[in-house]
Amino acid sequence: MPATDTGSTPGAALELAPGLAPEPTVSYQLRVDGARHQVHGAWLGASLLSVLRDTLDLTTVKDACEQGRCGSCSVLLDGRLVASCTVLAADAEDAEVTSVAGLRPSGPARAVAAAFVREGAVQCGYCTPGMVVAVTDLLARRPDADDGEVREALSGNICRCTGYGRILAAVRAVQDERAGR
Amino acid sequence: MTGVATMRRPRSLSEAIDTLAASPGADLLAGGTDLVPALRTGARPVREMISLRRIVELRARGAAGDWLTIGACATYADLAGWSLAPGLAATARSVGSPQIRNTGTVGGALGTASPRGDLLTFLVAADAGVVVTGPVGQRQLGIGRFLADRHGPDELVTAVKLARPCGPQTYLKIGARQTASIPVASCALVVDRVRRLVRCAIGGVASRPVRALAAEDHVAETADWSTGALPPDAAHRFGELVAEAVTTAPDVAGDDVYAPAAYRSHAAGVLARRAAARCLAGARGADARRP
Repeated sequence: MPATDTGSTPGAALELAPGLAPEPTVSYQLRVDGARHQVHGAWLGASLLSVLRDTLDLTTVKDACEQGRCGSCSVLLDGRLVASCTVLAADAEDAEVTSVAGLRPSGPARAVAAAFVREGAVQCGYCTPGMVVAVTDLLARRPDADDGEVREALSGNICRCTGYGRILAAVRAVQDERAGR
Repeated sequence: MTGVATMRRPRSLSEAIDTLAASPGADLLAGGTDLVPALRTGARPVREMISLRRIVELRARGAAGDWLTIGACATYADLAGWSLAPGLAATARSVGSPQIRNTGTVGGALGTASPRGDLLTFLVAADAGVVVTGPVGQRQLGIGRFLADRHGPDELVTAVKLARPCGPQTYLKIGARQTASIPVASCALVVDRVRRLVRCAIGGVASRPVRALAAEDHVAETADWSTGALPPDAAHRFGELVAEAVTTAPDVAGDDVYAPAAYRSHAAGVLARRAAARCLAGARGADARRP
């Protein structure tokens, strides 16, 4: 995980906006995994990641670098893969947010999750929710993606345990399975 | 600015301009890839914000006559496969990660104007025009002028204009890793086989991308423009001149945690030589003429 220059711990967003009195706050609705959530009095500067985890307690979305570099907080925003730490939560008001928990069961998500477990692509597991979102996004668009495309599509999701070999094997297993090979 | 900061989310450009006129100097939020992490760390305070995300007209891109126009809210992903602008597409594809390319925008790259910004370096080499719009209408600035003067507090960047490519273009960079890594040095090379010139910009080495003018002139004089080939010794000299341009840039970056200054200028020269090998290889490059 890349170090942040603040030396801060994840989840401490509200303590890190010094010198602002009163704190600008805002209330809005978010649609996450098909459900509407009311957010009351959140800090205006809060990222989608911090509101999902700290306000709505949706902790399947993981928090690591908070700089848009590690991919552990990946979600779909109106169907596009994004790092939720780079999205302003208050600006996602009219968007559809999809976390790993809300991926369509009719798509490749279940097969991806099962293959990750079967192929040993999950070790500490912290990158896994973001990885599964990214792999599902890729295979929904490009079911026959070749090795280079898979690597490029996952280049924004950092895993510090597996060395990626088992993750690539899991993606190939899903591709084979879905192609009836 | 008085009172507690709020966010406005206009639905059209005209509404955005009115909103900005009412709170000049407000932070403009496009993709958020720079601003949101900076709010999180406290590097930037929460100020009045205007989100541009809902303004569909700012995402348009198109070609008319000799010009390509790219809306300020076009994302890198929107540009990564654009066949009319291969150099821009290659640059966009090299930015960040899929997540960042789906989020970050052209206008955001100009607003942040990071000296290491991939897109900014390419736009300098392409001699792009920047369209800014305010209450009295729109005006176009050259990229150099835009970086020096920026825009007024009641204006926003609405589009970027590029000449249609008239020859090969490339963008190369060196960093800790290819993805989501800030380049230590980068090189954009744009060849214009019709006007028989090249433009070369180096990113990551100074407070803004550096144009290597003497190196450009050297190529213009030594290339065989009937074939688009640069002789090997001229390509070597091109690299040396680019490295020199970096060393003598007025506000060149010193040694920092990413690299010593000497490594940067060396790397810039190597990248420039590689870029020349790709773009000025002769007949092979001829198929990259005006489409």
